[in-house]
Amino acid sequence: MSGNLLEVQGLFAGYGEVPVLRDVHIAVGRGEIVALVGSNGAGKTTLLRALSRVLSGTGKLTFEGRDLSCLTPEQVFKLGIVQVPEGRQLFDQMTVLENLMMGAFARRDRKAIQETLASVYELFPKLYERRTQRAGSLSGGEQQMCAIGRALMAMPRLLMVDEMSLGLAPVIVDQLLEVLSTIRKQGVTVLLVEQDVFAALEVADRGYVMETGTVTQSGTAQALSEDPEVKRAYLGI
Amino acid sequence: MQLLAQVLVNGVLLGGLYALMALGLALVWGVLNIVNLAHGALIMLGAYVGYYLFTLLDVDPFIALPIAMVVLFCVGYLLQAGILNLIARAAMFNTLLITFGIDVVLTQLAQMLFSADYRTINPGYAGANFMLFGITLPWVRVLAFAVALLLTLAMWLFLLHTRLGRGIRATAQNLGAARLYGVSPKRIYALTFGIGAALAGGAGDLYGVVSQINPYIGATLTAKSFAIAIIGGLESPLGVVVGGIFLGIVESLTALYIGPTFVDVASFGILVLVLIFRPNGLLGSTT
Ligand SMILES: Nc1ncnc2c1ncn2[C@@H]1O[C@H](COP(=O)(O)OP(=O)(O)OP(=O)(O)O)[C@@H](O)[C@H]1O
Ligand SMILES: [Mg+2]
Repeated sequence: MSGNLLEVQGLFAGYGEVPVLRDVHIAVGRGEIVALVGSNGAGKTTLLRALSRVLSGTGKLTFEGRDLSCLTPEQVFKLGIVQVPEGRQLFDQMTVLENLMMGAFARRDRKAIQETLASVYELFPKLYERRTQRAGSLSGGEQQMCAIGRALMAMPRLLMVDEMSLGLAPVIVDQLLEVLSTIRKQGVTVLLVEQDVFAALEVADRGYVMETGTVTQSGTAQALSEDPEVKRAYLGI
Repeated sequence: MQLLAQVLVNGVLLGGLYALMALGLALVWGVLNIVNLAHGALIMLGAYVGYYLFTLLDVDPFIALPIAMVVLFCVGYLLQAGILNLIARAAMFNTLLITFGIDVVLTQLAQMLFSADYRTINPGYAGANFMLFGITLPWVRVLAFAVALLLTLAMWLFLLHTRLGRGIRATAQNLGAARLYGVSPKRIYALTFGIGAALAGGAGDLYGVVSQINPYIGATLTAKSFAIAIIGGLESPLGVVVGGIFLGIVESLTALYIGPTFVDVASFGILVLVLIFRPNGLLGSTT
């Protein structure tokens, strides 16, 4: 079998009667950062939802050779497929620390949880400073840090980050991308969904371009960012 | 003056118990978005658990309290896991309909099993008083008040400082996000409903000590709990305590100055006024 961590073959999914994804094929290798780019409404978020099984679909979904299609969202989560959702979705009334601890909700190993917490604080010293502040009162950048930190508390094997850059200043986006590279070095595979194509391809190894529910192009990040068609459509060159 | 002070104290003591009654309703409402019309029936069941433990086995009502809570926790957990989870997140009207049905069934069952007779839990110290600044304080009422506040405090600490409490609050705030991190809403719902029922059971046991019980007390107690939850808001147990004591005082004053038959009129009159002028509760934000 191939050494891919995640494989998606011929995935169809949608909301009720409305089909969104049509015959999607992607693969993510261990330790890779893979970018998934495409314009609004292409179906990127829908793909992540289908992967975490909140949305059912037909097609072959495997994680480390295991079939995901018969698992519940909770089971998929326990395998280590963890999302940083679009729009952060923090628990606004709870403190930063409580939000982080919610990421570890399914874990029972108290000591190891404290170690993960320490490593999250090391990645995001800001979160340590703000640990007793309500998440709803954080700045946009801090909220995104909190959302990524919360996901890391679950000890993901595959981290799926949706629209990380939304509404953030380029400096902050660069910082967060830096963090993703660090996380990858620590052994976490990253699937990065972005509308900011340029930023995403900068840190990614490979990328997929999605259009209206299906993958239209794929290749190494370098090849994609040099592809004239991608340039014209997304970089405005 | 002396009389007024006495009436105020009576109101506060009653209000502590009211707060405990409303706490379970407010918790379930806040987390599951269900206004549980069977809440009062659960209080009634808790009262009968206390009554039978006392009459048949000679168990002191304050010792029976944790037993009543455990029994009602199980009842609540099973109700939620078996019936209410089927309509989780359904429209408010459907949940009202189902919990109303549960209320009717529990009340009828209680009438068949326990008969419609009035009962009281009457331990030997039931009539004992002590005096403080010329005010008479009945021991059972003071104890019931203290236990009710302790349980409310324990509930608050549980929600704030434990893993499950955090899970319950997170589910209430953002169900979708909680699911993303391995929270199973059905388990959290069943647990929350169980805790709500356990609080009702504890309140019922205490109610049986300070008042008469029969199978039909549920409806009024549901309505009072609802009023208190509205007055106090759903956000914190502190609001419920304030709401409970407020209602207790209003009822005592009404009984003294207007007449005992107007007690319920006054409490629901206040509910209507709060809904009109401060729909987020007395402590809630005005926006
Ligand atoms: N809950 C839903 N019910 C019905 N249709 C939906 C739902 N969510 C998304 N869609 C539709 O599915 C299509 C794909 O949406 P999706 O959110 O996956 O796009 P996206 O690529 O993530 O876009 P964006 O970059 O704006 O986040 C859109 O046409 C959208 O209208
Ligand atoms: Mg999206």
